Amino acid sequence: MHLIGNILDEQLQDNGERNAGRVDGIVLELRDGRPPRVAYVEVSPITLLSRFSRRFARWYARRIDRKLDGRGVPFRIPWSRIERRGPGLRLDFDATSTPIYALENWLRQHIVRRVPGA
Amino acid sequence: MKRAFELTLGIVTSVGGFLEIGSITTAAQAGAGYGYQLAWSVVLGTLCVAFLVEMSGRFAAVSKHTIPDAMRERFGVNFFAVPLIVMFLVSLLTLGAELGGAAAALNLATGRALPIWAIPVAFTAWLVLWRSTFSFIENGVSFLGLVTIAFAVGAVKSHPHYGELARGLVPSLPHTRPSHYWFVAVSVIGASISPYLYYFYSSGAIEEKWDESYIAMNRVIAGLGMSFGGFLSVAVLVLAAIVFHPSGTDVQHYQQLPQLLSHVFHTPGAWLVIGSLFIACIGATLEITLALAYLIAQGLGWNWGEDLKPHADARFSLAYTLIIAVAALFVLFGVDPLQLTQIAMALTSASLPIGVLPFLILMNDRDYLGEHTNGRIGNAVVMSISVMAAVLAVVSIPLELVGS
Repeated sequence: MHLIGNILDEQLQDNGERNAGRVDGIVLELRDGRPPRVAYVEVSPITLLSRFSRRFARWYARRIDRKLDGRGVPFRIPWSRIERRGPGLRLDFDATSTPIYALENWLRQHIVRRVPGA
Repeated sequence: MKRAFELTLGIVTSVGGFLEIGSITTAAQAGAGYGYQLAWSVVLGTLCVAFLVEMSGRFAAVSKHTIPDAMRERFGVNFFAVPLIVMFLVSLLTLGAELGGAAAALNLATGRALPIWAIPVAFTAWLVLWRSTFSFIENGVSFLGLVTIAFAVGAVKSHPHYGELARGLVPSLPHTRPSHYWFVAVSVIGASISPYLYYFYSSGAIEEKWDESYIAMNRVIAGLGMSFGGFLSVAVLVLAAIVFHPSGTDVQHYQQLPQLLSHVFHTPGAWLVIGSLFIACIGATLEITLALAYLIAQGLGWNWGEDLKPHADARFSLAYTLIIAVAALFVLFGVDPLQLTQIAMALTSASLPIGVLPFLILMNDRDYLGEHTNGRIGNAVVMSISVMAAVLAVVSIPLELVGS
């Protein structure tokens, strides 16, 4: 499997077939005398931004950390909880209660639900 | 029977949704400025967009990916950011022009100032997006767009010089104002090949759950639908060539547009133009707004879908809300819709390779399309037309700006 070609930037779906972001980064575990292996994937705007500018990503992470306590680190998903299915990667859990859906949930609760017809 | 209905509906909606402010004004400017001589640019643009629409439908049906989805997956986010930003900005200008076109139609109908209509038009379009489904937008609004067939009827009733029109289908060098000639030519091509069109189409194919059994139908819809649509653009060019060209009048104000049909159908003709302009621009507004929201949502992996209720895809729904609000500012601040259209269409041409070339790479990738990858003819037609249009645009835009 090619990490860049087959994992990075792939679409993720949760166990309810909801889109759950894309693989923004891959965390490898280095092992003595053995090949490295994929430990986690990261789904986070911090990781995404760091692919353009590490400095900007650090600034964004600090701001988020100040505003939302403890959220200034990327959300990591253990590789063991992901499997390939169809055109993307499938999580074995519900993503709607994770930080992947934090913005979606906040917008729904605070803005969208208040608009008639939503 | 179901497929025959889907096929007919697909062709009807392609025809009804083809004309918008870009194709109407650029074809009118081409006809007014150069008679039938620029008919080739409509044909070239239509040929290219027919190939692109067929490819985007085939891509979605076979790979189950939309174009932005596959572009990020295949090329990575750093590369994907370039077409994303360029296409977003160019399409946002086009969206501003479409809202301006709808507002211009209301201005022509009521006499009230154009900026007053910015908020009502944007709100109406937003309300349709908020409350309705993808099928309603694609079929309902495009079906209303069939009123634009009035341009074809008007053109035939005007008894054009068919021999001269046939000569105009072959590209030729201009006799006067060469930089303006090429500028109008690339604007016409840009109006036909607006990338939002095939991005929207690929997302639509996913929304409607197309699979490989739709490949043949997709080919017929793209071929016939776009050809009939291009025929309507030629009709506008013909009408402008008859109405404006003999007196050497350029189309510089949207207030001139009703004359396209009023010389054939008198007062009802003017109302047909106003109605066509309004419906075509509202239809295009809905499509572009959705296409831009799709672009962001698919690029970032959000939940998306016009068939979902807004509470099920809050980020997607608020994305299109914000997009339409920003685009409405162009109208609110009194930007002339015709000038905005000209700039948007020329920039669309200039930026064509940025969206088209990565798409062509995807269309030749067996990992996505298996045995359904592009043939040589499709690759050659799309590549040559988009690169040629971009080169012409890059040369003619500065010359036009200096000239004006």
